[in-house]
Amino acid sequence: MNTQFIGEHLVPGQLGHFFIITSFVASLFSAFSYYCAARTEQTDPFKSRSWWLLGRGGFILHTASVVSIFIALFYIIEHHLFEYHYAWEHSSLSLPPKYLLSCFWEGQEGSFMLWTFWHCVLGLIVMNTAKGLETRTMAIIAMVQVFLGTMILGFYLGPDIKVGSTPFILLRNSMQGAPIFAMPNYMDFVKDGSGLNVLLQNYWMVIHPPVLFLGFATTLIPFAYCIAALWKGEYTTFVKPTIAWSLFNGAVLGTGIMMGGAWAYESLNFGGYWAWDPVENASLVPWLVLIAGLHTLLIYRSTGRALTMTIILLVLSHLLVWYSTFLTRTGILGKTSVHAFTGDGKALTYHLIVVICILLLLSIAMLVRRWRGIPRIKTEEETFSREFWMFIGSVILFLSSIQIAVTTSIPVWSPLAKWISGKDFAPPTDIMAHYNNIQVWVAVVVGMLSATVLYMKFKHTEAKTLGKRLGITAIIAGVMAAFIGWGQHITTVQYDIMLFAACYGIVANIYYGIVIQKVRFKKLGPSVAHIGFATVLLGILLSSYNKHVISFSTTGEPFNFGKSTAQENAKESRENEILFLGMPVAMGEYLATYVGDSDVAGKDRRIYYKVNFEKRDSATHKLQEQFMLYPDAFINPKGQEGLSANPSTKHYWDHDVFTYINGATDKTKSDTSTYKSHLVSKPGDTIYLNNGFMIFNGFSKDISDKRYVPAENDLAVKANLKVYDVNGPVQDLNPLYILHDKQYINFMEDTLQQMGVKVRFANLNVKSKDSVTAEIMVKQTDPKDDFIVLKALVFPYINVLWIGVVIMVFGFFISLGDLLNRKGSGAIPAVKKM
Amino acid sequence: MKKTHIVLLLLVVISLSVIISVFADFSTYETFSSASKQPGKTYYVIGMLQKDKEMEYDPKKDPNHFIFYAKDKAGNLNKVIFNGEKPRDIEKSEQIVMMGFQDGSTFHCSRIQMKCPSKYKKDMVAVGSSS
Repeated sequence: MNTQFIGEHLVPGQLGHFFIITSFVASLFSAFSYYCAARTEQTDPFKSRSWWLLGRGGFILHTASVVSIFIALFYIIEHHLFEYHYAWEHSSLSLPPKYLLSCFWEGQEGSFMLWTFWHCVLGLIVMNTAKGLETRTMAIIAMVQVFLGTMILGFYLGPDIKVGSTPFILLRNSMQGAPIFAMPNYMDFVKDGSGLNVLLQNYWMVIHPPVLFLGFATTLIPFAYCIAALWKGEYTTFVKPTIAWSLFNGAVLGTGIMMGGAWAYESLNFGGYWAWDPVENASLVPWLVLIAGLHTLLIYRSTGRALTMTIILLVLSHLLVWYSTFLTRTGILGKTSVHAFTGDGKALTYHLIVVICILLLLSIAMLVRRWRGIPRIKTEEETFSREFWMFIGSVILFLSSIQIAVTTSIPVWSPLAKWISGKDFAPPTDIMAHYNNIQVWVAVVVGMLSATVLYMKFKHTEAKTLGKRLGITAIIAGVMAAFIGWGQHITTVQYDIMLFAACYGIVANIYYGIVIQKVRFKKLGPSVAHIGFATVLLGILLSSYNKHVISFSTTGEPFNFGKSTAQENAKESRENEILFLGMPVAMGEYLATYVGDSDVAGKDRRIYYKVNFEKRDSATHKLQEQFMLYPDAFINPKGQEGLSANPSTKHYWDHDVFTYINGATDKTKSDTSTYKSHLVSKPGDTIYLNNGFMIFNGFSKDISDKRYVPAENDLAVKANLKVYDVNGPVQDLNPLYILHDKQYINFMEDTLQQMGVKVRFANLNVKSKDSVTAEIMVKQTDPKDDFIVLKALVFPYINVLWIGVVIMVFGFFISLGDLLNRKGSGAIPAVKKM
Repeated sequence: MKKTHIVLLLLVVISLSVIISVFADFSTYETFSSASKQPGKTYYVIGMLQKDKEMEYDPKKDPNHFIFYAKDKAGNLNKVIFNGEKPRDIEKSEQIVMMGFQDGSTFHCSRIQMKCPSKYKKDMVAVGSSS
């Protein structure tokens, strides 16, 4: 088969493929060189230096290649070269340019590339800052790049085993055998791509994946430092950079996770920012472990304790990132996750398992080899010491992550469980309650500890002062919690306790910052981060506990449910309300009215629906507040039946009204109303509508309609009509009648969306100068034919959550700034004493 | 024994007992017939949409009432009432996971998850017209 295909642009793909190979070989070369440099560091400094230079060169070449791959792929997507499968699959001509970057992360290959790219950027920073640990950390980073590189290689080992998947594969190669590709001019038929998933066409999806992947990528650096420290058998120099990187990592990954939450909240129909979905959990677990590791590392820096635990946690954090890639990318979660990630089949599953096993075995081998040499402290820590409680807190964070991981991994271990017990395990039926009931206690303990530990000093604390200070803050927090709990009607015991813990966290950390740290900005990092954390807890509690559906449907027959739990479920899902055009429906304290849609789907097939919300005083009926929401939906996106909706939210400082469309009439199919003819001749003639009337006010030749472009020999007349409903005048309608060259009749209709009225000036009959009759054709959609199915929720105090996240991230950066300004490598007094 | 060890031991015991107790939370995948052995208890049933049977959804009457027929893995056909809106693309689904309980001959379902044809599957190419 040597068909010459016409219209293909093969150069960018060939270049891209060339750079993939180059980047892979360069990373391999860099890893090997750095490894040799590390091996010869003590024995032969001269040789080591040459290897070191080669390693650096290799990594720089690798980075340059990765950037080139990016440019090549971007070129393909930007120029709509649909002969490439990636461009065809993930983009289309109508895609707005601002979403071009999102195409990268929609596909498997693109997201691996993004990950690789961040590793390169971070690698370059480590290369220039790691000093004595450079050879070892960089050897590890380059090695991980080798593994990641295999993911986009896309070559075949034998006929069946495919290693990785390249983004530069041609459409005709990816779908071999399709008859169309037998034609040399097949490109004439492939005019457009299949388009980007509409859920990703959202500004959060432009910024969230890069941040989240930067967070994932950064876990590599503490990992590399820990392994490097073990490798070198030297445990002091790695401390400062590892703390710095972990702080940065905690901030970025935390931001990434919450941006994901914000994306879910703004553009998905979960009805919330967090659903304990496996994909969300998969990013939360590495963060929790990382935070635990950061705290044990701080213990190590100040007391020399908990080094083993630190290394285990930080290494695990990176391995968990690989594991979460495994969970989310291989399709293993298929049955349990609402995210529609589908897998690349078995090849990727085994590929990732192999990578995870190599990294895991390497880490274990390093740890075992150095186990005896890792410095430990024989004596016991005091009960009233910061290290003791900080350690407890870290262990609890770790245990919490284990619980989340165990439940999330059900599809992974259920085959084994089935083999043992014969039961086919499924996730809990009430997944939110399952996690919440356990994690609430983690929140309580960690919230309390986050404040308490700061009041303790490392090694020894005066119990009396400690008790006094904690007592004061506990009383203030108790009052605050009682006040909020009473005001927000929080009556469940565990959530009252959580409320107290959150308040305590906020109060005690503020008190600590002011009274003990004396508001010295540099030193405020921990307390600010902890205030942020406690505020997040408070925000979660307030927004989730009193989150309620206001579109509670009362139409239809209630279900006959036997059990109370099932009844709860039934209640939960009777949350859709139907809104007919122009008919107000009570929703919570609001009156919601569907007043029309954008009618014509835009180029991207998106239709906006206009829903008016009003709140009136119950006694005086005076309008208290009024706002319009525009939930939108893609009708039949990507060639699929049905609709894909984006929510619209009204934000208040203390609550959000959150709405989205669950169903709408497809107007192309359902509009059955027809035009009816009416004759009008003199001003004052009336045309009656279903819910109002229209008064004719004569003709005019003064046309301002933008749709009308005057031409020679045109006679254009507009009819002046005024529409009234029960409340009075609504709008003027001016349909046009255009007679061109005395024979071609044309008309331009005018519409009144909110009443579903369309008017057409169909004919003009001139008997004499004073007797002119116009035929006005009116079509009014039966309001029963135009409706939307809407879901509306109220989230109280959700802003507390977002503010908390910002404060927490800010705290991380204060600490990071303080650390970087400090001289020295971060002394470890206890280790030196030994 | 160090205090840390005692506390750690305690935490491990607590977390073990928590993990064991949450096993009771875990549901199981059943078939329609095995779910009907315990009517009213909520399970997951994996099945396929029976496409030749009529689907009933009239949002004007009740936006939260969708009736369809599904075949479970054992091949049994069952009527399913979902109290929610008709999920988009259900016609295209290869597999549906339904959470709910059996009551008499109908399965009352409160959550549906669908598996749609994989977008990575290279089986179809939508070709634009040449005009």
